[in-house]
Amino acid sequence: MTVLAASSLTKRYRRGDKPFAAVDNVSFEIGPAETLALAGPSGSGKSTIARLVLRLIEPDAGRVDFEGADFLALSGAALRARRARIQMVFQDPLAAFNPRATVARVLDDPLRIHGIATRAERPRRIAALLERVGLDAGLAARAIHEISGGQRQRVAIARAIATRPSLIVLDEAVSALDVSVRGQILELLLDLQRQERIAYLFISHDLGVIRAVAHRVVILDAGRITESGDARSVIANPQSAIGKALVAATPRLTRSRP
Amino acid sequence: MNRLRRFFHTPEAIAGASILALLIVMALVAPLLFSGDPQAIAGPALLPPFQDWSLPLGTDRLGRDVLAELFHGARTSLAVGLAAAAAALFIGALVGTLAGFAGGLIDEMLMRVTDAFQTVPSFLLALAFVSIVGPSLGAVVAAIALGAWTGPARVARAEVLSIRERDYVAGARVIGMHPLEIAFREVLPNALPPVLALSSVIVAAAILTEAALSFLGLGDPNRVTWGGMIAEGRAVLRSAPFLSVVPGIALVLTVLGVYLAGEGVVESTAVRRSLS
Ligand SMILES: Nc1ncnc2c1ncn2[C@@H]1O[C@H](COP(=O)(O)OP(=O)(O)OP(=O)(O)O)[C@@H](O)[C@H]1O
Ligand SMILES: [Mg+2]
Repeated sequence: MTVLAASSLTKRYRRGDKPFAAVDNVSFEIGPAETLALAGPSGSGKSTIARLVLRLIEPDAGRVDFEGADFLALSGAALRARRARIQMVFQDPLAAFNPRATVARVLDDPLRIHGIATRAERPRRIAALLERVGLDAGLAARAIHEISGGQRQRVAIARAIATRPSLIVLDEAVSALDVSVRGQILELLLDLQRQERIAYLFISHDLGVIRAVAHRVVILDAGRITESGDARSVIANPQSAIGKALVAATPRLTRSRP
Repeated sequence: MNRLRRFFHTPEAIAGASILALLIVMALVAPLLFSGDPQAIAGPALLPPFQDWSLPLGTDRLGRDVLAELFHGARTSLAVGLAAAAAALFIGALVGTLAGFAGGLIDEMLMRVTDAFQTVPSFLLALAFVSIVGPSLGAVVAAIALGAWTGPARVARAEVLSIRERDYVAGARVIGMHPLEIAFREVLPNALPPVLALSSVIVAAAILTEAALSFLGLGDPNRVTWGGMIAEGRAVLRSAPFLSVVPGIALVLTVLGVYLAGEGVVESTAVRRSLS
């Protein structure tokens, strides 16, 4: 049983006037409560895959099955309803929210849209969500720009879990955070995965972070999969040139190797 | 408040705000101070200003009180200017947001319509509209708005096109928000500031257009307007120039006041932006 299965995904853009494939025939699967990492150099197509999987952009070819059903066949209200089950956390937690929003409104939206709680129940739900991600419930009244970057990313995670998704796509979700905060957020993500059995599509260029949280890893280069497998063994012993280069570029890994 | 203090920093803004304040007070007290019909005869015809202190600005050809007409004219100018500008900004923001957010065919169609309206001179459009619908306050407001919404529509569309690509719009789609809610609740409020910056120019232009329509006899006949007063005075321009000059000065001052106050607002928000 898989949560998400992408097969032969292809997305072409034009560079100048000649087309090129930002994502080229990419296939992967993610099981329940599993973390699949996407790694690769800048421009290798990681964010494009995230956007394809979330139906923020449409593929030129390929197939996406989500929870056993053709995800690409959905549209309109059916698609919007299905979106409750597949959520996303962005890299820049400030850009990811309406600059005018408050914490309460950010968390209220998904609960309202998917009819998860009545208007009267929602403040309690919001407080519970904040507590679930390790924040004070009193934060609800604050504006998004009035809280710290780490708190903001926790709010983003709270919003992502509000609709009880089976999959969360995290595109460089911890890259903008400083090291101590990053550790706490990763801890929170692992804890949520254990408790709620959420699967993650975890995008990062940091193999150290990937080794800490991911079960499996897919290494991309120029839109193609060059290597994939168990995260620890791929990182310990990369086969492709790109994989070796990525490992060499992560000093913490080379130093800690025996 | 900080923003207010910054607004009153420049002498232009202070001048503009004072003129506007005076105008608003005139408009508000007009029915109290001159409770009778301003179009009723109040004294001998063509009384020059500063002769009789019960009629300080004198009377016109029919013996109507010029000061009373001036105050009631302020009401019309302000009401028409604000209503027409509000309508133009509303329509413009609506069309621009829809075009920019929907993209594709809808964008193409809405922008062709905008082009069509923009190529017709707005005063001709207003003239044609009022001559067809007939002169009334509502028709004048609609006629002016019809020629003024294209600017706000273009600015709103450009702003929406850039905001549309931001992460938080993608985030709203991910949580399953309806596209119309995204357009009007998430995107539009953030696209408004540069659109609202146009409002002073639009209000000023609307007041002038209203005066011009009234001058040509296409204003609401049941209301005193400055444009109508100028037209009335034209017949006796040599013998009683004040009848055209007084409302003319009022018109110039008003447009200047609106413009200066608008510049002050834009400037104070620009300072705020560069500070943050
Ligand atoms: N809308 C677009 N139009 C044209 N080209 C695009 C578009 N979006 C992405 N690309 C191109 O597709 C390729 C893959 O981009 P993508 O953002 O997926 O890379 P990435 O792996 O996420 O990189 P990074 O690590 O820098 O975030 C890049 O060459 C990029 O320039
Ligand atoms: Mg990226």
